[in-house]
Amino acid sequence: MTAFPTVATLSRLGATLIVAFMLAGCAAAPDPKDADAVAEYEEVNDPAEPTNRAFFEINLALDKVILKPIAFAYKEYLPDFVQSSINSLLNNLRSPIIFFNDVLQGEFKRAGTTLLRFVINSTIGIGGLHDQAAKWDLEYHNEDFGQTLAKWGMPEGPYVMLPILGPSNPRDAVGLAVDFLLDPLNLWLANTNRDEFIFARTGLRAVDQRARHYDALQDMEESSLDFYAAIRSLYRQRRADEINQGKGSANMPAPGLSKNSISPTPWDGEEASRDE
Amino acid sequence: MSDRRSFLAGALASATLFFAGPVAGQAAGIEEAARKFIESLADKAIQALTKQEVPRRERIERFRHLFNENFAVAGIGRWILGRYWRKATARQRDEYLALFEDLMVASYVDRFTEYAGERLTITKTVPTGDGAVIVFSEIIRPAGGPPIRVDWRVGVKDQTHKIVDVIVEGTSMSTTLRSDFGSIIRRNGGKVAGLIDVLRKKTESLKKTL
Repeated sequence: MTAFPTVATLSRLGATLIVAFMLAGCAAAPDPKDADAVAEYEEVNDPAEPTNRAFFEINLALDKVILKPIAFAYKEYLPDFVQSSINSLLNNLRSPIIFFNDVLQGEFKRAGTTLLRFVINSTIGIGGLHDQAAKWDLEYHNEDFGQTLAKWGMPEGPYVMLPILGPSNPRDAVGLAVDFLLDPLNLWLANTNRDEFIFARTGLRAVDQRARHYDALQDMEESSLDFYAAIRSLYRQRRADEINQGKGSANMPAPGLSKNSISPTPWDGEEASRDE
Repeated sequence: MSDRRSFLAGALASATLFFAGPVAGQAAGIEEAARKFIESLADKAIQALTKQEVPRRERIERFRHLFNENFAVAGIGRWILGRYWRKATARQRDEYLALFEDLMVASYVDRFTEYAGERLTITKTVPTGDGAVIVFSEIIRPAGGPPIRVDWRVGVKDQTHKIVDVIVEGTSMSTTLRSDFGSIIRRNGGKVAGLIDVLRKKTESLKKTL
């Protein structure tokens, strides 16, 4: 098994990252005597913030000239059924990796669903263009090696803005690399010198995902005060939700519940805030 | 209309009976009330906000009214500031809360016109243990595609209900705002005045499009 081109691509990316961190400016550490400030610094967990912000700006600029216009044309001008077929096809191609991660997480029922979906959609679903399995109540779910590492107890580490690839952290960056390298289709394409198909698939996935989140990202960019900080928070929350498979919201911190003075029950806030 | 209400009430009652099952009487009562609160709010919001023919100025007024009536606006605003709330003067707090309300109205009022034809289905209710109830719902889009998961965290006190957080696909509105606003304060030397300046500029630029 020689997957040289893929490895070469990844090691180039790795080298870029290492250089980035060597150049990394660090966020000013808080005064260790100020407990609130320390707690906040740990909650933000973004020690390379200046560098991350620089990459965020570059990513945004690239998005504006390349990915965003393509995604806009894709969602506006392609018929809905074509978009949904492409999405189904891409999801179906991910099945081996999803199955692999379902198994590694000990989620055998979900692994079974993934396997059944792959068999049904690859045949009756015309190579994955049609999501017939979902119509038979076998709903799609995603998994990745970053989530598997989380289930195994690996901490996420500090927030990292990857060039081009976007928001991440060491755990998810490793996950991304492992999923990419173990993907059977990618391996086969690499070994048969069909790297252009790997790029085509990756590019199509990027356009598909960008188009799906187009409106939400637009709204967030318009309404947030600090888009970088909002994206950082949203990325972490989404990942936590995916890792918990959507069962975590009861344990989230939220207004009006904690007993301390900053988070009173909402009615204290209503009364007190206006006349204090 | 009244027919529809009583039908809804009936459907709700049977749904609640079906789901609440063996849960103890009072806890089930709290959950049922929170469920009804969200059901009726969704109904009201769709009635008031999705009609294209209602002038935008009128929709903005309706949205502001519904927002203040059903969300713990000051409580959320206060929680978002966290420890910086203590540092703010009374005047800054008032100004901040007013700007926060404006930002929410300007950011969300137009999203409802896109919601016409969507249906909200409540899937379950879970008490948080601190007197709040999370109402889990799914928004089903007429265009198809997977439903959107929306969890409503409802604070309950003396028979009154107020939303303290909205969690869309696992992402909390309050938590995201807390990170967003907190970052602005830190980048302005820990001063609430810095946040107020940025908020003022933001709401002014959003109002131009109103």
